[in-house]
Amino acid sequence: MNEDIENRLRGALRRIDPPDGFAERLLAALPEKELPAPVAALRAARPVVAQSAASPTRWRRFAVPGALAASLLAAVFLGQQIGAQRYANEQRAGLEASRELMQALRVTSKKLDVAYQAVREHDAPPPHGDAEETRT
Amino acid sequence: MTRSEPSAVQADPASLDTRALLSSARDGDRAAFASLVRLHQSSVFSIGLRMLGRRDAAEDLAQDVFLQLYRKLDSIESLEHLGFWLRRVAANLAIDWLRRSAWSAQPLNDDSPEPPAPEPDEDPLMTRALSGLLGELAPAARAVMVLRYQEDRDVAEIAASLDMPVNTVKSHIKRSLTALRGKMIGARLVSAEDMP
Repeated sequence: MNEDIENRLRGALRRIDPPDGFAERLLAALPEKELPAPVAALRAARPVVAQSAASPTRWRRFAVPGALAASLLAAVFLGQQIGAQRYANEQRAGLEASRELMQALRVTSKKLDVAYQAVREHDAPPPHGDAEETRT
Repeated sequence: MTRSEPSAVQADPASLDTRALLSSARDGDRAAFASLVRLHQSSVFSIGLRMLGRRDAAEDLAQDVFLQLYRKLDSIESLEHLGFWLRRVAANLAIDWLRRSAWSAQPLNDDSPEPPAPEPDEDPLMTRALSGLLGELAPAARAVMVLRYQEDRDVAEIAASLDMPVNTVKSHIKRSLTALRGKMIGARLVSAEDMP
């Protein structure tokens, strides 16, 4: 019973072609797709060394940890350089400040000397005046 | 037994290697993609037509399926996978469309301006009536029948395509055949003696 219906169904359900121009309309509706460079071009660009016995997978396996280690070393080195630079700058600034302080002290000392000299000259009695007073 | 995949020679005599077509299409060759479309367009369009019952809807569905294919070409592993992928997406998309719209209540109405030419030993009235009766089945059952009798797929592949247990597929086929037989007798397309 079912065989008869199955055969009739197979006959009734034959594939039908879509209307003419279906593929062309579909192509026109295709979005622009970002595609990787064609495989052939990639193969042509690949250096011959890469095809040698050294397996590229080994490189790939160590590439990421290697890059991380290199980044870490670079960061440590850079940190040290920055620290040394900062220390040198602070040392230079300290020396400069001390030089300025010494200069200020020297100037102050000179001024004090001048002032002291002036006071001494003012307080000292005139050398001839005393003798005349004693005589009179 | 399942229907074999179409060969490249049938669709494009200039191309002898459909694997190369798939590979070229993956690399962005639009002409190769168009050749793949031509190889599979009748299958996808017919699934849409038998499921939705209208040529314009079937064409929309086929366009949608092939646009999805274009975006997913990288995930297609082989030509067999391509055929399976297209049938699966077309059938499930059609079920989705039917469930979202009022089409599910309508019988299949293949009154297209370009009906397929009947085989010499085929009764065109019977063909049309059977297509119409098929359209009265529920979407999932209809998809099972289309994949089984139009695409000639085995039960296991239909189950995988529609994410159904194998026993559910078998039960859909059995019940649909019984229902179709009853409808054919009821519509006096055949007599009960012809289909005891």
